[in-house]
Amino acid sequence: MSWAIEVQNLNVWYGDKHIIKNVSFRVPKNVIFAIMGPSGCGKSTLLRAMNRLLDLNPHARVEGQVKINGINIYGDNVDVTWVRRQFGMVFQIPNPFPHLSIYENVALGPKLNGLVKDKSQLDELVKQALQKAYLWDEVKNDLRKPASMLSGGQQQRLCIARALALKPRIILMDEPTANLDPVASSKIEELLLELKEDYTIIIVTHNPQQAARVSDYVAFLYMGELIEIGETSTVFTRPSNILTEKYVLGRMG
Amino acid sequence: MMDSEKIFLLFLIVFVSISLLIVAGIVTSLIINSYPIFLRDGFSFIFKSVWNPVKEDYGILPALLGTLISSAIAISIAMPLAISLAIFSAEIAPTSVRGFINSVSDLMASLPSVIYGLWGLYVLAPILNQYIMTPLHQYLGFIPLFSTKPIPTNLFTAGVLLAIMITPFSSSIIREAYNAIPHHLKEAAYSLGMTRWEVIRTLLGYIKSAILAGAFLALGRAMGETVAVAMVVGNTFTLPRSLFDMGYTISSLIANQFPNAEAYSYMMPALYSGALVLFTIGLIINLAGLYWIRRVVTRG
Amino acid sequence: MRLNKRKIIDRLMLGIISALAIASAIPIFAIAVNVYSEGARYISLNFLIDLPPPPVGGGGGGIGPALVGTLVLVALALAIGGSIGFFTGLYLSEFSHTRLAQYTQMFLQVMVEFPTIIVGLFAYMILVAPLKRFNALAGAIALSIVIIPYIALNVREAYKSIPYTLKEAAFSLGVSAPIAYLRILLSAARRGVLTALLIGLAKAAGETAPLLLTILGTTFTYFGGLDQPINAIPLLIYNFALSPYEKWHQVAWGAAAVLLTIILAIFIVSRLIVKEVKV
Repeated sequence: MSWAIEVQNLNVWYGDKHIIKNVSFRVPKNVIFAIMGPSGCGKSTLLRAMNRLLDLNPHARVEGQVKINGINIYGDNVDVTWVRRQFGMVFQIPNPFPHLSIYENVALGPKLNGLVKDKSQLDELVKQALQKAYLWDEVKNDLRKPASMLSGGQQQRLCIARALALKPRIILMDEPTANLDPVASSKIEELLLELKEDYTIIIVTHNPQQAARVSDYVAFLYMGELIEIGETSTVFTRPSNILTEKYVLGRMG
Repeated sequence: MMDSEKIFLLFLIVFVSISLLIVAGIVTSLIINSYPIFLRDGFSFIFKSVWNPVKEDYGILPALLGTLISSAIAISIAMPLAISLAIFSAEIAPTSVRGFINSVSDLMASLPSVIYGLWGLYVLAPILNQYIMTPLHQYLGFIPLFSTKPIPTNLFTAGVLLAIMITPFSSSIIREAYNAIPHHLKEAAYSLGMTRWEVIRTLLGYIKSAILAGAFLALGRAMGETVAVAMVVGNTFTLPRSLFDMGYTISSLIANQFPNAEAYSYMMPALYSGALVLFTIGLIINLAGLYWIRRVVTRG
Repeated sequence: MRLNKRKIIDRLMLGIISALAIASAIPIFAIAVNVYSEGARYISLNFLIDLPPPPVGGGGGGIGPALVGTLVLVALALAIGGSIGFFTGLYLSEFSHTRLAQYTQMFLQVMVEFPTIIVGLFAYMILVAPLKRFNALAGAIALSIVIIPYIALNVREAYKSIPYTLKEAAFSLGVSAPIAYLRILLSAARRGVLTALLIGLAKAAGETAPLLLTILGTTFTYFGGLDQPINAIPLLIYNFALSPYEKWHQVAWGAAAVLLTIILAIFIVSRLIVKEVKV
């Protein structure tokens, strides 16, 4: 079996604080893989270690390996921009570039990375990305309007479209529905199940119900340690660790 | 192979280094160029009152005193005004005009000093002379401070003009600190049944670091100001005996004497060392100001 | 009774504060009125392009050489000081955790408060003394140095004000650092960066003291090359105001009206930029 991403003996420190403690796991292709855990357990950090977005934080130090297609992204001579282009990322707070139009938000990545040859190709790519993100019908007449005019849920789907336009293999999602109302949240969750056909999705959530609803595999992270990992149905019905059990039963904050 | 990130970082560091080199260069240039006169006269040159190019004999005491006197006048007039202006715009004025007041204040702070100088020379100086300095001299002339019969351009006029120039600058520092006071503190003060003035007085105590910072930084500006002062201070090299004496400040001395300096062998070093003295005093005052600013920032 | 006394003090103090505040704002209006009532009448197209009048006799004259000089000096200062200041500010914002950034920021904060005449002395040493001639380049460099800390510190603020999550979004697109900072995030910070440049522009246009020691101030010649002396509007105002000739005083007022207009225009533009509805 070939894996979408392999994490081996990953450790992360912020200054002296050991945030991620020797975490290893593998994610198969075309699944939704959820990383769940109480807030502060390090799951957002773990996610950012996978596409080296953690490099932006000058205090963070990473040890261990993360492999995509067998290439260790922390290896020498690996171009960090290449690494990031393999991933699309969606953040906790919907963060479209507020000064750019809806169209420009999606077009920016492909344009800067030279993914398209001409304007018509770009138009087509933007349209496809917006369609895949379930946003096209709502914005097709307002493409030139600023992204800030959209609702929170629409902004988040715009961010998904922005990530998809990069043609990534893997989509990283950092609590993508934490700041959305229930209706907007369920729309995003539906969308995830659809996207699984074409992408591998790694989603971070502090909400065990969400992990149970959307994921195929789930990892439980607690205070920087990987406590349990497995098929979602197994983890939620027969957790092998008492901490996991407490967490999935909602007895832990 | 270097990746683009590292090249970019290096690129930025080149510019940062240029900025740092300039700072270092300025300090070095002051030291190198003033060295000859320190070598010849030692520090006595700071405390002598003589400017005799023919004998190559220089001492900057009058200019140093002029700088201290004019900026002392400036700061003592400016601070009450600056605090009042800050409170007025942050607390008293109707909300609808606060933006306008702040704009006017910021515009004053960004007006070129040569415009202040021109106005000071032809408008302010005659008015001060007629309505303030002459009466003060007439009725209170027995007090040494007012003992000289005034003419329009003198240290007092320079001080008042400087006060006008630094008030908005100082005020904006105080205003920002006042506006940054947590709302719950204001509410707490009012809930104790205080009058508005009592609230204001209490809150001013809370931001006294900012007021000190505003005072020090404004004082630094007043001492370094050149052209506006050079236009109204009288440019006369004598030890001041009263506020109404014509005088020099260090920076106006440089501005005035520099064109002649090339012709003599020690005048240039004398002017550079005047600048070094001014720089040193200014540095201490500004560091004090920055220290108090930092206190404002870190406490919040 | 006690309450009454408190109320009286309250009224009294608020009155004093308001009066002082209003008094402190009077000069700006007086300056504007005086400058325009004395100076505006001389302004015409010819005033902007003609040579100054001879001290006695002759026509009205103008400030042509000084205006040309100011344009040349300001353009150069903005190009040199603007780029050094911008990239320094970008470093200060994005690498603020480094020692280098912390020290540089402290030095720049001190440099903002340097008396500008000292900058003139420095430029004199490095560019006038070796060339043995007052020259435009020395003036431009002096002005660049004056504006570097203003631009750097304001550009730093502009980049600092970008939410961290937008920075993450920019880098998650898989672009290199220069593209993230100079293409994506620059447009997010454009308002602050533009304001920084306008502050530098206003400073450079109005600064006088360092020019006294670097460009000398020609009166009757236009721009003759970067290695030649040149004039500037603020310097012309200074020299003419202190001259003994009534006619030159008039030109100084006219030039002051021109300079005030330039500064006001820059100020209004920068206010509009800041006010532009936040998206």
